Amino acid sequence: MLWLWISIGGVALLGIVFVLGYNRLVRLRNEVDTGWANIDVQLQRRADLIPNLVETVRGYAAHERGVFEEVTRARTALQQAGTPGAAADANEGLTAALGRLFAVAEAYPDLKASENFLQLQDDLTDTEDKISAARRYYNATVMRLNTSVQSFPWLLFARALGFREREFFSAQGDTAVPQVTLSR
Amino acid sequence: MTLQEQIRSNRLRSGIVVVGFVLLLLFVAALIGLALDLSLGVLALAFAGVYGIIALFQSRSMIAGMARAQAVDPGELKPLSRLVENVSIAAGLAVTPEVRIVEDDAPNAFAAGLRPEKSYVGVTTGLLAKMPKRELEAILAHEVSHIRNRDTYLMTMATVFAGVIALVADIGFRAIAYGGRSRRAGALVAVVAIVGFILAPYAALLLRMSLSRRREFLADAGAAEILNDPEAVALALRRLSLDETTITYADASTAHLWVESPTDRVESERRGVLALTSWFNTHPPLEVRIAALEEAGGFRLPDRLPADEPFGY
Repeated sequence: MLWLWISIGGVALLGIVFVLGYNRLVRLRNEVDTGWANIDVQLQRRADLIPNLVETVRGYAAHERGVFEEVTRARTALQQAGTPGAAADANEGLTAALGRLFAVAEAYPDLKASENFLQLQDDLTDTEDKISAARRYYNATVMRLNTSVQSFPWLLFARALGFREREFFSAQGDTAVPQVTLSR
Repeated sequence: MTLQEQIRSNRLRSGIVVVGFVLLLLFVAALIGLALDLSLGVLALAFAGVYGIIALFQSRSMIAGMARAQAVDPGELKPLSRLVENVSIAAGLAVTPEVRIVEDDAPNAFAAGLRPEKSYVGVTTGLLAKMPKRELEAILAHEVSHIRNRDTYLMTMATVFAGVIALVADIGFRAIAYGGRSRRAGALVAVVAIVGFILAPYAALLLRMSLSRRREFLADAGAAEILNDPEAVALALRRLSLDETTITYADASTAHLWVESPTDRVESERRGVLALTSWFNTHPPLEVRIAALEEAGGFRLPDRLPADEPFGY
């Protein structure tokens, strides 16, 4: 009789542990999804600023066609990127292309003084800051999810339950992933 | 302690604060009832209850009023609003808190609001005028951490309750001292009541202070994580500790809300007795907080602060 109770208690305890752990994984996964949505919003915002910027610069420097094409191509690549890693790579690519565009703009004082251009430049800087903020949150949530999924005992059935490790938002050769973890 | 555990523990503490508040209120009402008139005691209780509920609903504007924080048009202070926005994104808050400005030369900041979606961050003009961008961001991240950890929820409730107790005790004290109705009561009861009325607000204060000073360490750690830059947080705290400006409106009723206790300095000057009792300290010393960050982040602050250009106001 005693053994029966002990085993019932043990099963109940296991059940509780399982439910708590499962709910935790669900929460972590939702956090990752929210984090990714945050990045996506900002990437989209950045991409939306590009056509306007290209048009503005074209108004002053119509013959710099190569740079415009490069920026437009980088923008398309960003919009088509399917995974966080690819998006991060494409985002880096866009940054590089924009760098060249701004370098070209340096040669046109009228353009540099244009209200519209300054506003766009300001908006772009803001978007870049927001991408890096959103990325910090996203990468932290991915780190938490991955750690849980890779730890025992979830290691054994996380996959079967539909929890997978997620990809960090970091470009190739990017070493900014390690996070400072303090007392949490 | 994870974020979820911290939020849960704050909910539990909020429950304890409510119970403690009700007990304290009953005590004050009983004093009024004994010393003056039983019906007065009941009246005081009803008044406090109604006032407390209204105050809780009005807490947003009430705390802003106590701290003299004014709402600003986001367009007017765009760089600051953007900084707050970025920090909230990095913290994973769903809604960016409003920014409010306190006209004061002392650098300080606070956060308030019952719910994360309806919270705001207040900063003094002194903070904007003295802090470089990197450190200002650290302070904002500290405040946003408070919002995320639901510290603001707990603190807002405690602020309102302590205010109610102080008000009711004050009314009772005045009624006895000036009302002359203590004829009914014996001299002993009157003395006990007066002592009780004087002590009640401090009891409320103690109740509020006891809400774990650890939340400050947690908010510092949270800020370091949000920015991935513990050194910025430590630098900001060091700059606060080196600043000698005393806040002009230092007010015990909102002291616990600020990033650096605004009353510690004032209290040590104006109310020597209080400063001696470290129970009343709302915050752990800044140097202890800096040391905790140094240890966790594995760095040492330089002796001299970087002379970066202040963010500006």
